Amino acid sequence: MTKGVDVDLENVWIRFGDFVAVREANVNIKGGEFFSFLGPSGCGKTTILRSVSGFLEPSDGKVRIGGKDMAGIGPNKRPTALIFQNLALFPLMKVWENITFSMEVKGASKAERRKRADELLDMIALPDQGDKLPSELSGGQKQRVAIARALCAEPDVLLLDEPLSALDLKLRQHMRTELREIQQRVGITFIYITHDQGEALTMSDNVAVMRAGIIDQIGTGHSVYNDPATPFVASFVGENNVFRGKIKSIDGDMALVSTNRTGELLARIATSAQGKMNVGDSAMMFIRPEACNIAEDISPAANRFTARVKHEEFEGQIYNVFLEGAEGKEIKMSLVNVGKQRQSAEDNNLTLEYMPDQAVVLPAGELASE
Amino acid sequence: MNIAQLFRDYFVKNGIGLGTFLLVAVLFWVVILIILPQLSMLDFSFRHHLPPPEMGGPKDTYTIEHYKYLVLGAPGADTSYNVVDLGVFGRTLLAAFFVTILDLILCYPLAYYLGQSKGGGFIRLLVLLLIIPYWINEILRAFAFRIIFGDSGLINEVMLTMGLISDPIDFIRANVALYAGLGYAYILLMIFPIYNVIESLDRNQIEAARDMGASWWRIHWRVVIPYAKPGISSGCTMVFMLSAGALAAPQILGGPSSLWFTQIIYQWFNTGGNWPRGAAFAVVLLVACIVIVLGMMRLFKVKIGDIGK
Amino acid sequence: MRTNSLLPRLLIGAYLVVFFGYLLGPLIVMSITAFNSPSFPKMTPWECLTFEWFDVLARDERILTGIENSLIVGVGTVILSVIMGLSGALMLTQIWPKLRATYYTIVIAPILIPGVVLGISTLVFWDRISIMLGMSTGGILHNGIFLTILGQSTFIASYCMLVFIARLQRFDTGLTEAALDLGATPVQAFRKILLPFMKPAIGSAAVLAFLASFENYNTTTFTFGKFPTLTIELAQKVRYGINPSISALAFIIIVLTIIGALIHEIYRRRQQLALANGAPVAAVSGGFQLPKIFRGNPAAIILVLLALGGASTIWFSQSYSPGVCKMDVREQKRLIQEERIKEIRAKRQLELQQKQLKSPDSSGDIKSDAPVTQSPGKGAFGNVFDPGNLDKAAPKSETEKPAESPGKGAFGDVFAPKNLDKATPKDD
Repeated sequence: MTKGVDVDLENVWIRFGDFVAVREANVNIKGGEFFSFLGPSGCGKTTILRSVSGFLEPSDGKVRIGGKDMAGIGPNKRPTALIFQNLALFPLMKVWENITFSMEVKGASKAERRKRADELLDMIALPDQGDKLPSELSGGQKQRVAIARALCAEPDVLLLDEPLSALDLKLRQHMRTELREIQQRVGITFIYITHDQGEALTMSDNVAVMRAGIIDQIGTGHSVYNDPATPFVASFVGENNVFRGKIKSIDGDMALVSTNRTGELLARIATSAQGKMNVGDSAMMFIRPEACNIAEDISPAANRFTARVKHEEFEGQIYNVFLEGAEGKEIKMSLVNVGKQRQSAEDNNLTLEYMPDQAVVLPAGELASE
Repeated sequence: MNIAQLFRDYFVKNGIGLGTFLLVAVLFWVVILIILPQLSMLDFSFRHHLPPPEMGGPKDTYTIEHYKYLVLGAPGADTSYNVVDLGVFGRTLLAAFFVTILDLILCYPLAYYLGQSKGGGFIRLLVLLLIIPYWINEILRAFAFRIIFGDSGLINEVMLTMGLISDPIDFIRANVALYAGLGYAYILLMIFPIYNVIESLDRNQIEAARDMGASWWRIHWRVVIPYAKPGISSGCTMVFMLSAGALAAPQILGGPSSLWFTQIIYQWFNTGGNWPRGAAFAVVLLVACIVIVLGMMRLFKVKIGDIGK
Repeated sequence: MRTNSLLPRLLIGAYLVVFFGYLLGPLIVMSITAFNSPSFPKMTPWECLTFEWFDVLARDERILTGIENSLIVGVGTVILSVIMGLSGALMLTQIWPKLRATYYTIVIAPILIPGVVLGISTLVFWDRISIMLGMSTGGILHNGIFLTILGQSTFIASYCMLVFIARLQRFDTGLTEAALDLGATPVQAFRKILLPFMKPAIGSAAVLAFLASFENYNTTTFTFGKFPTLTIELAQKVRYGINPSISALAFIIIVLTIIGALIHEIYRRRQQLALANGAPVAAVSGGFQLPKIFRGNPAAIILVLLALGGASTIWFSQSYSPGVCKMDVREQKRLIQEERIKEIRAKRQLELQQKQLKSPDSSGDIKSDAPVTQSPGKGAFGNVFDPGNLDKAAPKSETEKPAESPGKGAFGDVFAPKNLDKATPKDD
């Protein structure tokens, strides 16, 4: 298999008339990396993918694949293969013809194609299914055929446009593992588009989080989750409780935020905001539900707050406790189920505590809409 | 986006060879077959009637004599207007309108019945039976009506035998055969647009209306007809245009005293031998039809895109 | 439909009967006249079952040339219309959005423009071009076939385009992109992805175009020049005198149409069956299982019955000779005639006897009557008495009746395979 090559976006702008779909994107994707673009629908992530695959020319900036400028090179001449959201399997061709279409257009003989198809069918664990039509396959099987078809073209870069979105939950989770395995086996660069943060975090080496045409943050799944660069990233990637307030004091990389309803709370300033925040700035503080715990000591402190419990949910491995927050919002706390029946605290006040370095302060900004 | 960019994108998308081929085919159709012949006919209709050698010569100037003829008649005629031709023109449009209404009344119930039935073999058979007559030659269909309505045709013979009448009724002269034949010729073009639209109407809407106590005519008036409007106007437009422009049925079924406007055009081109005049009359027919269709579309608030669906 | 009570059901039934009576009645009547012996097509009175009109038809040079011209024009029109219609439909998806509505209006307009106008404009335009180029009147631009193909294609391409647009709306443009992405050139993507997808639509558009071309009259009547198509010939026959050979032709066309429709229906049904079973079409059509096809498939059964009926008809026509019947009818008519004449004679004689009393010189009346009524050598004796038929039967051209020319079987070669092919373009 070919070794993956770098994909670089340099200051890429993509405009449709007056509408700016992608604004000043600068991304460096290393060869052999599993890279995801994560964002809500309409954020421009598919547009970026189409500019890499060659269906779109950027209005400004450069797309380089393997260091080579791709301007003016059509999709059929680029070393990329795209797996479409709806898979786009050719309905009138048999499975093996689908898989080896890239060889057919280059004029490979039928025997050659047949042989290669059988290899790939073995690889995707669908031996002897080559003579079926795509319509006779199940969703997961189609998925694998689409992957095999793309791999058959021996691309340097594989582009995947939300390929799992049509599958049901179980299959989706299974395919995540499988995709990751395939990527490691073939060793080429994967660029993956998704709005599902679970997919992005489980599979990717690096994730770019996008909002309305802007890339907010690029980093490993870990850093995106634990050290978000913007309130949008903090609220879009995973669940988060938001506390609005003003910076009361700063001490090194820790800040004290005074909030209306829950008093003064201590938290770590996010890496991207360190040295940029001043006392009196309006800020947002984020605490993950799983970072909260029931306080043993209920005396006021900068890592504790008290609120009334609205309702509780039992979800199996965890209990979710919803407390009354500011502006009608709820504060969510997740407690691990340790096997004991929990005493319900509904309608009572409850004091929560958290580790201050697990909470993040950012300058106030736009949140992801629910 | 500018034009150059547009062309570049187009050729990138389709490739040079295929892109050129498509472009040439479409341009040939649109320019050579559709637009230029119509313009040429328009131009021709303003020319004098000249023998071929004089065409393009000094006498080949523009004139409105043919249009004048249609309105005022031949110079020195008795009447101040061309009563004959104008009368035929008006009667053609009126009869076409009448045929359209006839077809609409006849077709709407069946379209509704077919559209709202849940399918099944019987309905499929009916649809098949509907299509078969349409595949039979227009001339033969008209001919069939002649067999039925002729002096010694089926109806007259049967009625004579049964003693209902003592002399054969001249259906041809009374234009009964013509209207029946015209209505018959284009009945499918009325039924299928309406059928297609009604088929997509959610049955639940009708159930809901019935549930709320609406009478059957109110259901049609308030629910079905508004929904089927694009189909109805599309069907009416087609039937009207085709009836007004029909030539075969009037030639075969028309009575000796009633001409169709297309027959007059035909005569100027054949026995009359005055092509520019025929062209002028054709232009008048074309313009009248366009005006009427646009008017109908405006009236029913239907777009051109709905035609032919 | 929720029709619980009896009355609405009855009303619907009556309406359906009236509607389909109107729709199919004329065709049935016309078909029957093809087998009746009077030389003017009529159903009543029924005289003799005859197949001679098929024979007459098969020997009609003008009809045969007409069919030939129609086929040439049809093939040309199909090719041109399908290419232009497909291009037009593909262009619609790509054209500059601001131009799209105008473009659509222009290419759909030929459907709404009266056929005579299209014919006239085509004729006039190419005549002008030919004059401009200084070509003789015998040149290609005045060739009837050339003009007819162009004139018909102008609007038939619009019909084809509608078929293609409907199909294109269900095309996933992602498939073309996928092909490009996998390294196909635009032409390869077109040929290997879009074209196979459009194939069924191309098939139905071609059939539609051929049928439209075959039966077109309004446009062709201005453009045909020296190459009258079948429809033109039919129109001239129908206008200037007819015999039931036209009915015979109509009957053949009707039968072929029904067969074509049934085959289409069976094919569709089989596809649906395959789809329902989740099996590929090839699997169902490959294994030819007779019972399965017939199960709940009235179309197939009708087709088989039709085939059996057709075969037995042909056999019957070979062995049956209407001559005896005709003689009978002629004899019968003669008897009736004689009876009437006798009556008249008797009456006249009575009158004569009465008259003789007054004026003795009127016996010549009787003799002048007799030769007229007894003169016909042909079978269509009764018609002479029918006042309406006199003028219609008279102009019947003599060329249509060389029925006595020998060589072929009693039935002519209407049913011979090669003629079937000619007349059934919709089947291939």
